[in-house]
Amino acid sequence: VDTREVIRIERDIIATMSRTGWRYRVGLGLSAGMVVVGGIAWSLALRRGLGVFGLNEPVMWGALITTFVFFIGVSHSGTLVSAILYFARSPLRAAIGRSAEAMTVITILTAGLYPIIHIGRSWLFYFVLAYPSQRQLWPNFRSPLTWDVFAISSYVTVSALFLYMGMLPDLAMLSRRVNGWRRPFFRALSLGFSGTDAEWALLEKAYPIFAGVVIPLAVSVHSVVSWDFAMSVMPGWHSSIFAPYFVAGAIFSGIAMAILLLAGLRRGYRLERYIRPGHFEMLSKLLLAASLVMTFTYATEFFMAFFHGSAAEAEVFRWRPTGAYAWVFWLVIACNSAAPLACFWGRVRRSLPALVIISVLVSVGMWFERFLFIVTTLAHTYLPQNWGLYRPTVPEVLICLGGFGWFFTLFLLFIKIFPSISVAETMEREHAAAHSAELEANHA
Amino acid sequence: MPEPVVTVFEDPDAAERALHRLQEAEVTDARVVSPAPFPVVHLTGRPGPWPVLNKVALAGAITGLTTAALLEALTSRSMGLVVGGKPILAWPAFGVIMFELTMLFAGVANFLALVVLSAATRGRVAEAARAAANSEQIVVVVPGERFEGPGAAAVRAALGEGRS
Repeated sequence: VDTREVIRIERDIIATMSRTGWRYRVGLGLSAGMVVVGGIAWSLALRRGLGVFGLNEPVMWGALITTFVFFIGVSHSGTLVSAILYFARSPLRAAIGRSAEAMTVITILTAGLYPIIHIGRSWLFYFVLAYPSQRQLWPNFRSPLTWDVFAISSYVTVSALFLYMGMLPDLAMLSRRVNGWRRPFFRALSLGFSGTDAEWALLEKAYPIFAGVVIPLAVSVHSVVSWDFAMSVMPGWHSSIFAPYFVAGAIFSGIAMAILLLAGLRRGYRLERYIRPGHFEMLSKLLLAASLVMTFTYATEFFMAFFHGSAAEAEVFRWRPTGAYAWVFWLVIACNSAAPLACFWGRVRRSLPALVIISVLVSVGMWFERFLFIVTTLAHTYLPQNWGLYRPTVPEVLICLGGFGWFFTLFLLFIKIFPSISVAETMEREHAAAHSAELEANHA
Repeated sequence: MPEPVVTVFEDPDAAERALHRLQEAEVTDARVVSPAPFPVVHLTGRPGPWPVLNKVALAGAITGLTTAALLEALTSRSMGLVVGGKPILAWPAFGVIMFELTMLFAGVANFLALVVLSAATRGRVAEAARAAANSEQIVVVVPGERFEGPGAAAVRAALGEGRS
C-alpha cells in the first residue's frame, strides 16, 4: 500500500459522494415521493383523528406499531453487528460497518415517528418525557412504554456517537480533500482530528470501550421493546422467550436490510473492490443462522403454548395458522423459515441476485411476523365475545410506505454527504492484506 | 529551541522502517501523523495516560446509574402515584431505566473524554504535518535538538527514505 494505492482508495470511496447517476436520482425521487404521500396521509389523520385508521376495540395496535417494531428490529442489527465484528477483527467490518451503523441511526429515527403518529395528538408526544411540568406529573417508570422511551433515546444517542466516532478519521481526511462549502463543514465535524499517533492510540482505546457499551445496550433495547408486549398478561405475548426472540429477529431483519443496502451501494457506485462476494457470503451464513434460530423460536412458542395447559394461549396459537390471518402466518413461515434455507447451497450464497431476493423476502416476512403477533393476540384474546378483526386502512398503508421512503431518503442523503465505507479502515485492511500476501509468498 | 523536523513518507512501510531506525538511534520522542492506523503509529511508544478513559467511562456509568435512581425514586415519591399497597419504590422495575442511563452516560463520557484528550495531545505536531503533507502521506516529526550533537548523522540516515 503506497501513496497511489491510498489515493485510489480515497478516490473510489469519495466518488460515492460526488458521482450522482440516474439510478441515484430515481431512487431518491421515488423515496422522497413516498415520504410526501405518507405525509399527506398523516396530515389526514391529524385533521380527522384516529378514526381514519382501522384500529378498533380490541385491536388498538395495528400497522403503525408493526412498522415501529419492524424498524426498531432492523436498527438493532447495524450497530450490534458492527461492534461484534470489531471485536472479532473481521474483515467484513471495513466493508459493511459504516453502512450498518448509518442504517441503525436512520432506522431508529424512522421507527420513532410511528408511536408519535399512533398516539393521534402527535403534538403532545413530549408528555412521555421526564420533565418537570405544571401538571406535576411524571412518567410512570414502572411502565414498559416509559422504559422504551429511555431505551430508544439512549440507543439512538449512543449509536449516533458510535457512528460519528468511527467517522472522525474520514472526516479529517475529507476536510483536506474536498473544496467549497464542504471543506469547513468537514473540518468542523472532524473536531480537529489530525491522525497523530497519540490520537490513534486514544481512538483505539476509546473505540472498544464504546463498542462494549453498544453491545449490551443493543441487546437491552430490543428486549425492552419485547417487554412492551411480554409484560402484559395477554395470550401469545406473556412469555419469557420474547426478549431473545426479539433480539434474534432484530439481527435477522437487520442482516437482510444490510444485504439490500450493500448490494445497492456496490452496484450503484462500482464498489466491487471493497464490497466483495465473500462479504455477501459471510452475511448469507449469518442470515441462515439467524433464520434457523427464528424457526426454532417459532417452534418453541407453539410447543410451550400447547404444553403448559393455558386454554387461551393454546387457542391463540391454534388460531394463528388456521384462522383469519392464516395467510400471514404461512407467508411468515415461507419467507423467514423456508426461503433462507436456500443459503445452505454455496451457489445461492455466492449469487448476489439470489441473496437480494431472499433478503427482500425476509424483510417482507419480518414485517408480517411483527404484524402477526401483534394483531392475532389482540384480535383473539381471553373472552370470545371480545374477539374482532383488524384491517389496515389506506392512510395507514400509505404512512407505513412513507416510513420506508423516509428511511431510504435519509440513507441516500447520508451516502451523498458522508463516505459509505470507512476509508481509514479500508486502508488499514488493504495494508494488512498486502503484508499477509507478501509473507505467504516468502514462505512459499 | 530548534524547530522540529518534519519528514514526509509516501508509504507506511518506509515510515515504519524509519521509526525502527530512529529507535536504534535512541530517538524515542518522534511523533507520527498518519491517515490510517497503520502499524507505524504504534511504534512511537506514546500510549499516553489512556487508562484514564476507563475511569472516565466508569465515572460516567456511575453518574448515569445515580441519576436514574434519583430521578425514579424522587419523582415517584413526589407524584403520589396510587400503587395499591405495593412499594412506592419499585426497584426491579426501575432497574431497566437505571441500566439504560448507566450505558448512555458511560458512552457519552467516553466520547467527550476522547474529544478533550485528542485536542490536548494534538499540539503543534498536527499543524506541522498539515502544512507539510497531503492527507494520504505519512509524516514523522522529530524534535530539532535530535539533529544536534554526535547522534545527528544517525538520525538523518534513519529518515533517509523520506522527504524532509
